[in-house]
Amino acid sequence: MNTLRTLTEADFQPAPSQDNLEQISRPSLSYWQDAWIRLKKNTRALISLYLIVGLAFFTLIGPWIWTKDPAAQDLDQISQAPALPKTALLVKDFEPSATPIDTTHPPAPSGYPDALDAVTGLTVLGTPTTQSVRLSWSPVDQAGGYSVYRSESAPEGLMGLGLPLASLTAGNIVGFEDRLNLKSQTYYYSIIPTDGFDEFDVVSTLEVSPQQSITVSQALERQLIDSDDRPGQTVQLAFHPLGTDYLGRDMLARLMQGARVSLFIGVVAPLIYVLFGVFYGGFAGYLGGTTDQVLMRFADFVVALPFLLFMILFKIAFGIGPGESGILPMLIALILLLWPATARLVRGQVLRIREQGYIEAARLLGGGPSYLIARHIIPNTMGVILVTLTFAVPSAIFTEAFLSFIGMGVAPPTPSWGSMCNEGVKTMLSHPHELFFPALFISITVLAFNLLGDGLTEALDSKMRSKE
Amino acid sequence: MFRYTLGRLLSGVITVWFIATATFLAMHAVPGDPLMNEKATTAEIRENLARKYGLDRPLPEQYVIYLSNMIQGDFGISFTQQNRRVNDIIKDHFPVSAALGILAITFAALGGILWGAITALYRNQLPDIIIMFLVILGISVPSFVFAALGQLLLVNLNQWFGTSILPVAGWGTFSHMLMPSLVLGLGTMALLTRLMRSSMLEVVNEDFIKTAKAKGLSPQRIFFKHQLRNAILPVVTVLGPQIAAITTGGFVVELVFAIPGLGRYFVQAVQQLDYTVIMGTTVFYGAFLVLMVILVDIIYGFIDPRVRLK
Amino acid sequence: MSNPPLLEVEGLTVEFETYGGVVKAVRGVDFTVEAGEVMAIVGESGCGKSVTVQSLMGIIPMPPGRITAGSARLNGAELLGLEPRAANAFRGKEIGMIFQDPMTSLNPTMTIGDQIAETLKVHRGIPGQQAFESAIKLLEMTHIPEARKRATQYPFEFSGGMLQRAMIAQSLACSPSLLIADEPTTALDVTIQAQLLDLTNTLQAQDAMAVILITHDLAVVARTAQKVCVMYAGQIIEHGSVDDIFYQSAHPYTLGLKSAMPSNIGDREKSLDPIPGSPPDLFSPPLGCGYAPRCPHAMRVCHEENPPFFKDSNNTGHATRCWLQAPNAPSVPELYQSNKIASDGA
Repeated sequence: MNTLRTLTEADFQPAPSQDNLEQISRPSLSYWQDAWIRLKKNTRALISLYLIVGLAFFTLIGPWIWTKDPAAQDLDQISQAPALPKTALLVKDFEPSATPIDTTHPPAPSGYPDALDAVTGLTVLGTPTTQSVRLSWSPVDQAGGYSVYRSESAPEGLMGLGLPLASLTAGNIVGFEDRLNLKSQTYYYSIIPTDGFDEFDVVSTLEVSPQQSITVSQALERQLIDSDDRPGQTVQLAFHPLGTDYLGRDMLARLMQGARVSLFIGVVAPLIYVLFGVFYGGFAGYLGGTTDQVLMRFADFVVALPFLLFMILFKIAFGIGPGESGILPMLIALILLLWPATARLVRGQVLRIREQGYIEAARLLGGGPSYLIARHIIPNTMGVILVTLTFAVPSAIFTEAFLSFIGMGVAPPTPSWGSMCNEGVKTMLSHPHELFFPALFISITVLAFNLLGDGLTEALDSKMRSKE
Repeated sequence: MFRYTLGRLLSGVITVWFIATATFLAMHAVPGDPLMNEKATTAEIRENLARKYGLDRPLPEQYVIYLSNMIQGDFGISFTQQNRRVNDIIKDHFPVSAALGILAITFAALGGILWGAITALYRNQLPDIIIMFLVILGISVPSFVFAALGQLLLVNLNQWFGTSILPVAGWGTFSHMLMPSLVLGLGTMALLTRLMRSSMLEVVNEDFIKTAKAKGLSPQRIFFKHQLRNAILPVVTVLGPQIAAITTGGFVVELVFAIPGLGRYFVQAVQQLDYTVIMGTTVFYGAFLVLMVILVDIIYGFIDPRVRLK
Repeated sequence: MSNPPLLEVEGLTVEFETYGGVVKAVRGVDFTVEAGEVMAIVGESGCGKSVTVQSLMGIIPMPPGRITAGSARLNGAELLGLEPRAANAFRGKEIGMIFQDPMTSLNPTMTIGDQIAETLKVHRGIPGQQAFESAIKLLEMTHIPEARKRATQYPFEFSGGMLQRAMIAQSLACSPSLLIADEPTTALDVTIQAQLLDLTNTLQAQDAMAVILITHDLAVVARTAQKVCVMYAGQIIEHGSVDDIFYQSAHPYTLGLKSAMPSNIGDREKSLDPIPGSPPDLFSPPLGCGYAPRCPHAMRVCHEENPPFFKDSNNTGHATRCWLQAPNAPSVPELYQSNKIASDGA
């Protein structure tokens, strides 16, 4: 309890009267101002806004900054993982070399040997490059030939020897030149002596890391060097920060072009079908009666169509001519199938709002139909429409990706994130980056729009507004 | 309840008719003659097919033939797989897809309800934050990426243990089903978790929970008898549409895991423009999904007395 | 006077942590309820009446709510700050509660009978079928026709008045010594209100049960209560017997409430006088009397210091939190006069 002070005459003087009793002390905010303030307080929605701005930048400005041609193939760097700029050793053009034969050694065994020694003295002649790796070894007594294997991982004994490169059928051939699709990575070469037909259970393995190289004529052709450059120099190769795909195309450039396709479908399709749905639903809801019944019954049927199956059917029906990308058919199919959800929603909103007391009040005060629509119905449905639109974007992007993934979407060579995933999944085990990046972009975009949609829902929810 | 069910079934039949008609029209809008496809090889086959489907007749007549065939349950013969009836393809491969789908929806529903309830219980605490982060991932990542990642994970696991823990692809045993159905159900599970969470949080604020507390019930009893049951209701309502999502999601999962389901055949038929198979399976899937939605509605009616008794 | 009171609440303070800051919803509330007595708490929306009783029951959501001070003792046993298990020893058993909106206060997916039986099962350990039978008896006691059939129905099959009867049946299941009725008739129409109040009164008299009745309807208070607490801005500002409050009202707010109430006595042409302004923002309660900004008789001290309770001179338990009741304060008419002069001069 508060201790009482001694009260004086002055304390009991009437207080100055206050005339502003009915005044509301808090500032009044419009619906949209209030929503914007609350959206800004929502960290996740804010992050998603930044992400969307970033994606727009990536899509629209990106190709102006990263000017690499998304269709150009870099044959030196096929399925290249993301890496810093690479250099290559400039080497002479290929000149066939004679098979190395040890003339002091007999080419065939003198009988059928029961056992053979393992190959010894296995080395690489010269610098191993991605143009050629030249192996050399000492002949094995009584051998009638050798099998050469190459593996990308270390073999365990006779297991996991990898790719059979050659079966040499003379015991005095003591070398092999590998020119098969070499990359700058570590290889394990295994040599097994044979009697000319069958392999014996002994193996010698050598670890080789060929150096990235390019021949003079290739380098000239790709304009990487001047004509006076000589072999032995290092050459700067094209830079692929996100690597290349299975055809050697630059991933970053393709992702940017793919973004244009995916986001075009993902944004334009929802814009059109939501707009159509708004008009359709608004029309039905405003007119009411039989018109409304008929219009909405039709919408119900379209909703009942299994969506992805009919996307596929429509895609087939519209057909893709040679040289077409298939973007337009997909757009049309999306619009044809997805408008009813918005139409239903907007109709429901319009019907609900029409019954509200404030509409009745506005009508009694002499508000005409156009005034009611512009002043009450549209502003009160805008929030719902905006949220629908935001959530429609990720679902359209998902649809595009799904269809492209099963080969019914955007036709090659036009890249979309979905078709890039489709290509990437084939090489997933050896080159995961070809799947990872397009999948990442799809996920980030869908995530951003989903979070923004959540944020908008919360910000525009008038129930939340009154709670705070 | 009986009248309600009957009404739903009747509207379902009309919907299936609409799907069949839309399929028919879409397929006849295909540029060119489907029978000119090089895959319908000999002139004899072509003639037989033309006679069977009345392709030489005007469109309305073809439509009547198509519908009457369909009512008799005859979806025709595949263009590309000789002598194979579409009915047989469905009969052989749909059970595979169904088994996969049932397991996936079970995973999704149980997981969604469980995780959703946990997040609501630990609202804004660590379990909630972790699960909701995973849910956001689950909603944002396309199903084919999950499928690919799931397979990659199996490859690595099997390599790690040096033995086949779960088969990487194929079909046949229960262990073949586990990973595909899990990746197939993930997206739906994420969605249901989110729904369950918000539903739980909404129910927590309901007046009847206050009443239950004032009655002196234990927190466990309130949770199970009052909160959970009411919170599950909205989750059940979205199961119908989610079955559709899982069915179509099955296409890519079957593709990635090399599962001989109807979805994979459908995708193959689409890629080979095998019109009878496309039409047959589309109508079949359409009818199946309509049936599923009705089934879920009826089940919902049994759970929610407000629907059952009206 | 001699027996210890059934319920004794002292210095109860409840705050809510919200988005916009801390709301001091209840600011030091004291009251006592004797056994078998009906006490009404009146006040306008948001004055803290519901929060007061709900915090006794431990059913305010925590967080955001928290009880920062005070104690409440039922027959000497502390109620506040209990673990759910300990709280459940009295909730539903010693204290029953009825809520404002019967439509939303019952579980929509459970039959009425099961919901009533649940209380008996939990507190008395009565097995299922027997508890259900008792539930039917309770429904009969609250005059629900065809109670046996009704017990198997769901809340959506009941009308509002019937549901509130079922709520009453449920809260009385364990014959509690105290019934808290949180605006039990607000959501119902007037005839149903009257029936329910009569029912409550009869049942209360039968079992000698104490009742705390929360309402903003003075007519209900006059009809049912023996004792009244008037709440304003999270504090009790006047308490006393129902006669004290209605005929000897001392606080300007109580007077204001009375003049805002329609009456069928006297001048029919007389318009109702609403109290101007709105209650203070409880995010930052005023330093002085919460009612001072709206009070026609506000004095300097009213804005500077919150008044204590001043007991009525004839010592009937009637006390008022108003500086006008201070021993050396001017009397109201003379103050009113000077107030008028002041405003005329301005």
